Amino acid sequence: MTDSIATFMTDDHQRCDQLLAACEQAVSGGDWKRLAEQATVFSKALIGHFDMEEQVLFPELVAISPWASGPTGMMTMEHGQMRALVEELNEAVDEQDADACLGILETLHLVIQQHNSKEEGILYPMAEESLGDQTTKILNRLQAG
Amino acid sequence: MMGTGGLSLDQAPPIDIPARFFLTAPLFAIAAGLLLAWQGPTLLVSRWMPGALAATHLIAIGYLGLIMCGALLQMLPVVAGAAVPAVRLVGTATHLLLTVGAAGLAWGLAGSGPTLIRVGAGAAALGFLVFVIPVGIALVRARGAPGTLLALRTAALALAVTVALGLLLVAVLQGWIRVAEHTRWVDTHAAWGLMGWVGLLVVGVAVQVLPMFYVTPTYPAPMRRWFAPAVLVGVGAASAAWIMGADLVGQAVFGTIALGFIGFAFITLRLISLRERPRLDPTLLHWWAAMLSLCGAALAWTFAAPPTLIGVLLLVGVGVGLPAGMLFKILPFLTWFHLQHRQLGSGRFDLRIPHMGSLLSTRWARVQFGLHLLALALLAGSLWVPVLARPAGIALALSSLVLLLLLIGVARTYRRFAALLRPAPSRAGPQT
Repeated sequence: MTDSIATFMTDDHQRCDQLLAACEQAVSGGDWKRLAEQATVFSKALIGHFDMEEQVLFPELVAISPWASGPTGMMTMEHGQMRALVEELNEAVDEQDADACLGILETLHLVIQQHNSKEEGILYPMAEESLGDQTTKILNRLQAG
Repeated sequence: MMGTGGLSLDQAPPIDIPARFFLTAPLFAIAAGLLLAWQGPTLLVSRWMPGALAATHLIAIGYLGLIMCGALLQMLPVVAGAAVPAVRLVGTATHLLLTVGAAGLAWGLAGSGPTLIRVGAGAAALGFLVFVIPVGIALVRARGAPGTLLALRTAALALAVTVALGLLLVAVLQGWIRVAEHTRWVDTHAAWGLMGWVGLLVVGVAVQVLPMFYVTPTYPAPMRRWFAPAVLVGVGAASAAWIMGADLVGQAVFGTIALGFIGFAFITLRLISLRERPRLDPTLLHWWAAMLSLCGAALAWTFAAPPTLIGVLLLVGVGVGLPAGMLFKILPFLTWFHLQHRQLGSGRFDLRIPHMGSLLSTRWARVQFGLHLLALALLAGSLWVPVLARPAGIALALSSLVLLLLLIGVARTYRRFAALLRPAPSRAGPQT
């Protein structure tokens, strides 16, 4: 178990990357039942990650450093874009439209990557710096969520 | 204190700035293909043929130069959190000057005389200058992504040296100055352009985007830290030795750099094979072909193959193919990204923004790759079987035409949706 917020959240990003790749594999394999399962696992992981940030990490950060509300607001807005894409993905899976699934996964992947690089490069280090003494408490809440 | 500048989305330039570079560039590759189809095998007899010089500069400045400059203007704010000052003015001027310069210089080199060469080279050099100064400022200010930044900084420096050497050669051609053995200066100009500017940009882009696009392991740290500066110092030392007539030293250092690029290509192919995203998309196919071309060019140089073969592999195999593959991702993504933001501004959430797959057809992108591969094979083959030269030119023009049509398709979809997503008057204010 890690004792760093940045490491914990970055590991979760990587888990989501792997789950997205597994969805792509399932589309290429043409196994719609497996894809439906994979897409559900992936959606849950990604949305769960957004919820952790929006309900725990961002409010804690803003409470200590009010000026962080700009960047966290920006990140929350990007979460909204990705939530919409996840919804689109689930529809495409229901319709068994392979091209749409791949196109949406591709878009989602790139949005996630540029989003994550901003969080990992700027926001998480900022959170670690500001929330230093509360790390254990926050990590417990993140893991519980 | 940590800056939050990199989180801002407003730093990205308006989409029409990079888009105009991307939509103009394929025209120059088409022109190079048509020139070859028209002149046939004579163009490829040697690198000194007027047609070969013209085609080289059509591709190097018109195609590669435009795409690289457009992509850098787009990418710097996002990757390095550094906005390019006066980006609209810089973009417009660079695009215009490079377009006029590439066309003029190529026309002049093809045989229309020194005046056009002078005007074309002057315009192109001015275009690069207008570009390199503000981009240099942004690069100095930039933070983050150290491996990429280092490669981009060295590449920008190499571009400046390439342009300076090009201008020197124009002065020699015009009879303004004299140098002993001007062919050595031409070699040096080509080495700075191909190994320094193109090679290091490929390295910088690979280090940044391959792990991001395909979830590959990152490049080894020593490669990220030392490769770009080593190439820069190496090309500098080798050119100095070459110009001073120390042939052995020059060749040994150039050979070491070539070996370094082979190493880079092998690491890249290895990382691609370790990727977590299984899809073999057209962009990845282009990376494969480009890395194999890079190895081929280095091997050809080692075994003293005709310089035209090295030029074909580097200019067409790497220089034409790789940017096409990157554009398959860059333009659709930018389009989606900008449409998303318009949607937020307009409040039209009933409209669904087209995803990347519906913006650019992967099937047609595969056709483009197939035609590119055909062109490359025919071009390489034509060095031994001259009759293949004209079909090679046609294949090159066709593959670039398909690229252009695909990009135009994306731009049209953008326009259609942008018109539907006009900002609502009550919500048009800037987002916080």
